[in-house]
Amino acid sequence: MVKPTRVTNSIRALRFAAGEMTQADLADRVGVTRQTIIAIEQGKYSPTLEMAFRIARVFRVPLDDVFEYPHEEDGQEGQG
Amino acid sequence: MAFLEKSNWVVLVVGVPTLLVYLFVVVPQVLGQPIAEVSWVEPMIVTIVVFVVANVLGNVVAAASNPGEADKNDERDREIDRFGERVGNWLIIAGSIAGLILAMARADQFWIANAIFLGGMAASIVSSVAKIAAYRGSFQRW
Repeated sequence: MVKPTRVTNSIRALRFAAGEMTQADLADRVGVTRQTIIAIEQGKYSPTLEMAFRIARVFRVPLDDVFEYPHEEDGQEGQG
Repeated sequence: MAFLEKSNWVVLVVGVPTLLVYLFVVVPQVLGQPIAEVSWVEPMIVTIVVFVVANVLGNVVAAASNPGEADKNDERDREIDRFGERVGNWLIIAGSIAGLILAMARADQFWIANAIFLGGMAASIVSSVAKIAAYRGSFQRW
């Protein structure tokens, strides 16, 4: 439940690229609280797939441009 | 701070002192006189009423401090709430089972009531601690 996620995100960079959109603005547009956007940005919470798509849609970019999962070299990709 | 996190702080700030006061009133009696003579019903009722009323008032104050966020919650809040409730439920179950066993063993009603009561109070407190830890630390669903 509390193991660190390997999913990284570019939300902060995308916000700045989108005219320095605030966390509160993004939260309103995604339909979540500002605290949730902060937690996602800091890698403290992994959103549902649906929320991830909603975030990507706000920035008009593919999901891969917002969230990244590192390429595996130890054969564990896709597990967990 | 999310409203639901504040709400859990209220449970903690209210729950721990009220439980300690109850124990401070009842435990010395248990140690110093026969169980049948221990006055525990009134302290338990007062503790429960104070806990409930103080929680309601605390939530009203928390909501009034930031009215815009009081009715806002999202999937993260709901997931954290479910996680905390699951943690707390184990203590409610433990208290209930202890109460059943004590009843089957024909223990004094003092022990039965207190097993259930302490299980419930501990569940509220531990559940809030788990939720606050999830809010302040890392909470992953993947």
